Amino acid sequence: MAIYKSAIEKPITTALIFVAVIVIGIFCYLQLPIDQFPEMDPPYITVMTTYPGASASEMETNVTKIMENALNSVDHLKHITSQSKDNISMVTLELEWGSNIDEAVNDVRSFVDMTRNNLPDNCGTPIIFKLSTSAMPICQYSITADETYAGLDKILNDEVVPQLNHIDGIGNISLSGAPDRYVYINLDQQKLDAYGLTLEQVGQVVSANNLNLSSGTVKMPQEQYQMQVRSEYIESSEIENLMVTMTPQGQQVFIRDIATVKDTIKDLSLDEKTNGREAVRLIIAKQTGANTVEVCREVRKELAQIQQQLPTDVKIEKIYDSSENIQNSINSLEESVLYALLFVVLVVLFFLGKWRATIIIGITIPIALIVAFIYLKVADSSINIISLCSLTIAIGMVVDDAIVVLENITRHVERGEDPHEAAIYATNEVWVSVIATTLVLVAVFVPLTMLTGMAGIMFHELGWIVTVVCCTSTLVAISLTPMLSSKLLKAKKVHVDADGNLIDDEKGKRSWYDRTVVRFLDIVDHYYARSLGWCLNHKVATFLILIAFFVASLIPVFMGKIGTDFMQQQDNGRLSVSVKLQRGTRIEETLKTARRLEARFVELVPEIELINTSAGSNDDASIAAMFSSTMNNKISMTVRLPKKWQRDRSIWEIAEVLRQEMARYPEIIEYQCNVAGGMGGGSGNTVDLEIYGYDFDRTSQLAEQSRQLISALPGARDVNISREDDRPDIKITVDKEKASRLGLSSATISTYLRNRVSGMACGYLKDDGSEYDIVVRLDEEDRNSISDITDLTIPTATGKTVKLSEVAQVGEYWAPPTIERKSRQRIVTVKVTPYETSLGELAQAIQAQVIPQLDIPVGYSTHIGGNYETQQDTFRDMILLAALIILLVFITMASQFESLLKPFIIMFTVPFALSGVVIALWLTGRSLDMIGALGLVLLVGIVVKNGIVLVDYINLMRERGYALNDAIQMSGESRIRPVLMTAFTTILGMIPMAVSSGEGAEMWQPLGIVVIGGLTVSTFLTLYVVPVLYGAMSKRGERDKQKKLREKFIFLNIKVKDNQ
Amino acid sequence: MKSVFIIYNQANTERVEYMLDMLEIRGFTMFEQVQGRGTNNGEPRRGTHTWPEMNSAIITVIPDDKLHELLEAVRKLDMRNPEVGVRAFVWNIEQTV
Repeated sequence: MAIYKSAIEKPITTALIFVAVIVIGIFCYLQLPIDQFPEMDPPYITVMTTYPGASASEMETNVTKIMENALNSVDHLKHITSQSKDNISMVTLELEWGSNIDEAVNDVRSFVDMTRNNLPDNCGTPIIFKLSTSAMPICQYSITADETYAGLDKILNDEVVPQLNHIDGIGNISLSGAPDRYVYINLDQQKLDAYGLTLEQVGQVVSANNLNLSSGTVKMPQEQYQMQVRSEYIESSEIENLMVTMTPQGQQVFIRDIATVKDTIKDLSLDEKTNGREAVRLIIAKQTGANTVEVCREVRKELAQIQQQLPTDVKIEKIYDSSENIQNSINSLEESVLYALLFVVLVVLFFLGKWRATIIIGITIPIALIVAFIYLKVADSSINIISLCSLTIAIGMVVDDAIVVLENITRHVERGEDPHEAAIYATNEVWVSVIATTLVLVAVFVPLTMLTGMAGIMFHELGWIVTVVCCTSTLVAISLTPMLSSKLLKAKKVHVDADGNLIDDEKGKRSWYDRTVVRFLDIVDHYYARSLGWCLNHKVATFLILIAFFVASLIPVFMGKIGTDFMQQQDNGRLSVSVKLQRGTRIEETLKTARRLEARFVELVPEIELINTSAGSNDDASIAAMFSSTMNNKISMTVRLPKKWQRDRSIWEIAEVLRQEMARYPEIIEYQCNVAGGMGGGSGNTVDLEIYGYDFDRTSQLAEQSRQLISALPGARDVNISREDDRPDIKITVDKEKASRLGLSSATISTYLRNRVSGMACGYLKDDGSEYDIVVRLDEEDRNSISDITDLTIPTATGKTVKLSEVAQVGEYWAPPTIERKSRQRIVTVKVTPYETSLGELAQAIQAQVIPQLDIPVGYSTHIGGNYETQQDTFRDMILLAALIILLVFITMASQFESLLKPFIIMFTVPFALSGVVIALWLTGRSLDMIGALGLVLLVGIVVKNGIVLVDYINLMRERGYALNDAIQMSGESRIRPVLMTAFTTILGMIPMAVSSGEGAEMWQPLGIVVIGGLTVSTFLTLYVVPVLYGAMSKRGERDKQKKLREKFIFLNIKVKDNQ
Repeated sequence: MKSVFIIYNQANTERVEYMLDMLEIRGFTMFEQVQGRGTNNGEPRRGTHTWPEMNSAIITVIPDDKLHELLEAVRKLDMRNPEVGVRAFVWNIEQTV
């Protein structure tokens, strides 16, 4: 028994099955995490190798090159880049998006193991890192304090962090700029010299008096005691009173005589300020797979509670909270979905004019959509921008199947059939073609799931969701829809008067709907049929007009009015500013500039809610410092602005204001002002000009030249060169002969220098369960110039002292920059951000105007990369995809019509969709990006669906024996309503998306614009192109058919003779 | 005894069965899903893409006195919704066993 028949015969079972589906769907929906994008692991693997003592270029030849050669054969490798700096080599592999990272890490590990023997002997074990999403912070808070600032570290570590750690799914919590308590013993070089002391002696005295030691057991007659010497410092002031030595005169020398003891916070190396107040940044990450929105919500709740327990001057302020953006985007998309649903129902009501029919359609849409949530749950995905966009796209499509079935049932019922029987037989008539049209959609969307690269991750989900939803809607259309129709639709009443005559109800009783909408639609039908008749009689003229229109619509493309982007930038109300001053600038000087900038920014942009500034580097010895060069000359700011609907200026305008301000400072050599957003707030929207070549001077010069040329281009902002300038170092060259005569070696000298300049660690001061470093070092005044360094006193092996200048030469020296390589070649990158222009246009301008002007020697090359390259790759993928889709759609249609010619007729409407897209983009001033390109691909499917409806009906009419032109005109007249209806449901379904102004709306707007533009134009033209082409193409073929038929049944021509 | 061959659009199945029940005609033979086309205006019922609808047919053998009543009923059914369609043809029954 067919599915629709069982469904109609067993209404309760059918209804309950769908109730079950709805319940499971809602259950899944409630359990689904909310996220911005589908889960994707950034495909980066880094191999870090240390080789103590090697310079950058030695690192490059001895370590990096060997590593690169070995790792180059890792599967799915896209780019291999490396950085070689003093002592450290880092090779980063970028794999294809979506490849299996764990497998790749194993691969990398085995390659690294194989090369171990080729590395220099002193090399450390290469460390393999995998970048994971859980490493990215989901929210940041700034904690400011006035009086309690010095104790903030303790408050945070003892109260705030442990409480936050209780939250489910929370990952790493790190503090940036927290003040560390330190006990510094600052020695006076001259006094030391006067007493003949060395720094190390003082250090030993300090350590030796800070002990807890067990000194044996004391046995008494009855008891036994452990004996312990307890002499740890309780307070830092105790240190001052320690005796260091005795003078030959018998005078005692205390620490207070030769040093100042300061119990203070650590010397400034990283400075955090929020709105000019001392601040600590709390950076929170989540565990992989945890729900960002939930974790952030919990963090907010916890922090609000913690706030009450904290001293009153401690304030916790949000710097950014990625969940807010996600939540807002999702909310505005959910709104779009609901509006789309409403619009679609209204369209159906308008065209069908029946409450009951509309209700039936209205019930079937949510069921199809709910199944998408079940899919998401099964696929372990989340409610994200892509999944909700997919739903919006699907809404317009899911009604089509239900409408076809419902229309046929209604037609049967209106003929006077019983709804129950009408439902069975009417469904029987159309179910095959309903499935066939769904197959066309499947042919469009399944290839999306095969897309690779970054686009693949995003569209994989879209492809599956739309496929799943469309298949469900078909299933619903042939089971639930007939069942509901059989129950809800009313049979036409038959009235019989007293004499047994049939009373015709129809006459004179016309409803409001019939008088207005139906009349209007009739007029539309009529005019359409007339104009179609004209077109059929003037085929050549029609074609010429259409071709002229098509060519004219493409003019904006040839004029270069349609730019291309990778993804639209979002206005999330957050800017990140980074500023670079002259290398070697002292942190305190950097801070002065930072304060000045902050003040000016607030003045220029009164909208600013919060500025968080950090300058300097966190800790010279921490692992994080390895990833960044010394940053004393760098300032980075996060500027938080109100939501975009709460201010007049867009974030790009504000960024431009800030840029212009920064350009006015002579001390700023480089500045960037990025609009944070997009993929996890990460990489900006940049075009990278990559310059490959071996010679540093040559490539630096090329880079500088291109920077100047690019800066002159309109729309080029934040032009930055990746290569750092040479760094001034103080180089100490040990005279080995002199040193060894004094019993010193280079190693001991370097230790002594370190003790004097950075300080010698002498144990800890324990207070309340925490340990604080005690550091003995020279007073700052004795170590802040080159001559001071030359004057440092160093103990010799014999116990005497000697000045550094006697055993070594101190000089200034320029350290070579970090050596960056890509694809195993040295590279320098010039990064450019477009402003008021698109990525594609900027890249073309660079290609056309900058590169030819560069004098590129043989052996050097340039390449345009960055997001532009990703965009090009994606577009190439998209074109391939479109080709695949067109082929599949063709196959589906050809098999449906059992004809090779008719699919062509329908395919001819696709170019007109392109016209519509171009016009829509041109009118709205948008550029075509990845999402828009996706819309273009989808259009192929949606547009041909309209054509199928028409061609199918013309075929039907022809087979029913109507003459060609009559058949075409009749079909046009009868099919214009369904075509308009399906087109309007899709167009109106997209409108909320296209006009939405919510957070993150920039991203999906292009999709709405592209689909609306393309579909509007192509629907209108389909109504003419398809019938006219059908008429032009099939005339001869059909006549031949008659002839062939006669030839086949030639027996009728045999003359029957009487005698036989 | 007469044999009545009723051919009808399958959408009329329930009504035809009801009609026979009302007329207390118990015996019949039913052919489900038969194809055909009408002589004058009758739309073809071929179960194809072009002509998707189908007919069913019933042969019932009834006493002569019920014939008129049955044909009347068929006629009423046809009048109710002519587009759906029902026809009846009558034969003489020569012999039965």
